[in-house]
Amino acid sequence: MTDDGRIIELREVKRDYAVGAERVHALRGVTLDVARRDYVAVVGPSGCGKSTLLNLVGVIDTPTSGTVAVAGRRVDAMRDREATNFRLLNIGFVFQRFYLMPILSAFENVALPMAEAKVGTAERRERAARLLSYVGLSAREKHRPAELSGGEQQRVAIARALANEPALLLADEPTGELDARTGAEIIALFEKLNADGTTIVVVTHDEDLASAARRKIHMRDGLVVDA
Amino acid sequence: MIPQLAALPLLFLLQVPPPQRTIAIDEAFAARAGLRVGERVVLSATPGALAGDTVSIGAIYEKSADPSEIARGDLTVRMHLDHLQVLSGYGDRVDRFAISTKSDAAIPSVLEGINRVAFGFRAHRSKDIAVETSRTFQVVSRFHRAIGVITIVASSIFLLCIMILKVDERRRDVAALRLMGISRSSVVQSIVIEAALVAILGSILGVIIGWLASRFVNWHYQELYQTPLQFSIVTPSVVLLAVALSLILGIVAGVVASMRMARTPPLALFGR
Amino acid sequence: MRATLAAASLLRHRARTLLAILGVAVAAAMLLDMVMLASGMRESFRQLLMSRGFELRLAPKGTLPFDTDATIPNVASISSTLRSNPDIRLISPVLGASIHVPVGERTVSSAVLGIDPLVQGDYEMTEGRDVTDMGSIVVNDYLLAQLGKRIGDTIDVATGYDPQTRTYAGRRPLKISGRVRFLYGAAEQSASAMRRETLEAMGGPRDRASLFMISLAAGADAERVRIWVERTFPNVTAISIATAIASVDERLGYFRQLAFILGAVSLFVGFLLVTTLVTVSVNERAGEIAVLRAIGVARSHIVQQIVIEGVVLSVVGALLGLGLGLVTARYLNTILSDFPGLPVAIDFFLFQPAAAWTALGLLVASGIGAGVYPAWRAASLPISTTLRREAIA
Repeated sequence: MTDDGRIIELREVKRDYAVGAERVHALRGVTLDVARRDYVAVVGPSGCGKSTLLNLVGVIDTPTSGTVAVAGRRVDAMRDREATNFRLLNIGFVFQRFYLMPILSAFENVALPMAEAKVGTAERRERAARLLSYVGLSAREKHRPAELSGGEQQRVAIARALANEPALLLADEPTGELDARTGAEIIALFEKLNADGTTIVVVTHDEDLASAARRKIHMRDGLVVDA
Repeated sequence: MIPQLAALPLLFLLQVPPPQRTIAIDEAFAARAGLRVGERVVLSATPGALAGDTVSIGAIYEKSADPSEIARGDLTVRMHLDHLQVLSGYGDRVDRFAISTKSDAAIPSVLEGINRVAFGFRAHRSKDIAVETSRTFQVVSRFHRAIGVITIVASSIFLLCIMILKVDERRRDVAALRLMGISRSSVVQSIVIEAALVAILGSILGVIIGWLASRFVNWHYQELYQTPLQFSIVTPSVVLLAVALSLILGIVAGVVASMRMARTPPLALFGR
Repeated sequence: MRATLAAASLLRHRARTLLAILGVAVAAAMLLDMVMLASGMRESFRQLLMSRGFELRLAPKGTLPFDTDATIPNVASISSTLRSNPDIRLISPVLGASIHVPVGERTVSSAVLGIDPLVQGDYEMTEGRDVTDMGSIVVNDYLLAQLGKRIGDTIDVATGYDPQTRTYAGRRPLKISGRVRFLYGAAEQSASAMRRETLEAMGGPRDRASLFMISLAAGADAERVRIWVERTFPNVTAISIATAIASVDERLGYFRQLAFILGAVSLFVGFLLVTTLVTVSVNERAGEIAVLRAIGVARSHIVQQIVIEGVVLSVVGALLGLGLGLVTARYLNTILSDFPGLPVAIDFFLFQPAAAWTALGLLVASGIGAGVYPAWRAASLPISTTLRREAIA
């Protein structure tokens, strides 16, 4: 596969899980492309395979069959170490439940991926401060997650996801735990990010978030029904 | 002629050597020296002497279960008193007399009677002497007891630590129960019952392991020191103490751990 | 960052961490005590034997020094032959006997050593003068207390006493010239020393010794001299420090085995404690760990962070345990020092830095091992499944 403006390429991707004695077909053969700088919302009813799709693109899961390419590289058959490093440098993840390290401050949470990527201390400090400022939290950088509101925590999580300047930002129900007003702030932030050049793929039930995206992909029963 | 003939048997008797004296040696001695009943050895009171009394081994006996003798590894010999008196040059002396009375009731009067007329010696009950001379064993017992106490204290700390960890692991389950409306005391009770059950099962297993270990210890040290002494005895009172202690400690650990959990607000248990 | 995460993780549950450290400290203390017990007696005995510089001891054949009443005859002749060996520097013959001192209505009996004060290796002066003349005796504190006397007092000493007729033999007035501490003497044991010639003159065995202590010339091979002595004197057993220690080892094998078993149990329990703590801790943080993996933190780095937690617990616990262990060792040593007839200078629990650090190092290593497996397991959980499970939970 070649990277001719496409940042994500899925071809006939299937993903099955064993749940007890049964076999669940989460994805039944998905073929999909996402272009660079695009802002895509993946929508569909619960259990349709949205999150599974996101996990495969985010290289935190491997398909049962089919191929997945991100930023021009095949990721479906990557070994753990390679996949981890790829995620670190190329993909930013935002989760519904924020998943910040409760024992680190906002600043330290944002700096964590940079430390892992062996970014120098001075640059780490400068970039973390810049990212927190970008998401509007300069004044809160020394606070621990327990001292931040839900919206603030999610913004820190977004800043963390951008720490290593990834090509792709993936978000799984980023407004799921937030009230409408706070959710709107996050939606605005995503719009800003995309306008600044970040490719975003969100999985969501939130109609407002889905509407803010430039493209909607509908899924049902493990298949893309409308891309 | 007849007087000479009559003298012959007398001469014959005079020329027959006296019967050989016998001694008895302990099992360890027999094993170490490779001696058997009937074999002859030379006895002397002087170390390194080449000449002495030739005697034969009349018996091999089992050593007594005397704890103070255990670690010394002494080899013992039993001889007829007069033989030892002559050999050692001790003369008509002994270190002690052992006296058996016709009945236990007679002991006090016999003691008093002997001590009243004793000249240069005293009579004691065997029991009292045993207590005096078993100081080695008493020291070992005190040492074992100290180790036991330390082990119990250490085990209590370990138990509490592990119980708190295990109860902490179930914080979400406890939180869900509390949110459903289950009372704090019900939660504590259920955890304590579980801890008690685990303690009972653990005690039973512990007693079995302890009994097996005790048997092994006895077998090992009896072989090592060649003694019939029992080094470890599992008595009903020991079992009762062990089970009671582990039950109490287990339940207390369960109570402490569960009360800690029950005191925390349910939402805090969920991490909110 | 890993160290920061590890430290913060330990501080998150302070009570739990403190309790675990306490548990490890107790395990470390037990382990240290057992290490001290395993080699303490032997090392303490070796130091005692070497304290006066006598490398060989000669006892009547087949016996250990003062194990029996047997004596070695022909002291003068033996000494002369020994002196002919260039490897032998000093010879100290010692004669053991008993003395009896009438004190009012009662008789105080004591062990006595007949020695040569110029070469003796059995006691240290604590006050007064040594037995430089035939009319002196030195005593230990216990005997002095029993006699109710002071240095400078004269006592009536006998070498023989018949309790039946209450008569004394070999009587002589001797002046208490000094107070001494017998190196091989037990605490509650009366002991005294006088010149060997004095003891002989008082009716003690003539030209006999219970023991010869021999000091070798620098560089001499103790084992070679030992063999020469046994070949030259067939009625004597020559005991080097090594053989003496071996015989003590045999008698005290029980304590070594006990020490080994309890030490192994302590190590195992310490390991179990750390592994339980780490396992519970990582199970609680399965979601966090999955997120770290999702954002690109390598598995090995996560394992390192968790292992650091285990190591910190073990190291802090071990250091605390060092102090606790020394205290309990003193207490246990006090119990065992009550063994009848045990020389005061002997310790059962002896702190030897190399052995102690090895033991504590073993505990820390087991702490590392304890953390590795649960950490690796947690870091290897499938990321997406774990995140989904944690989200549901």
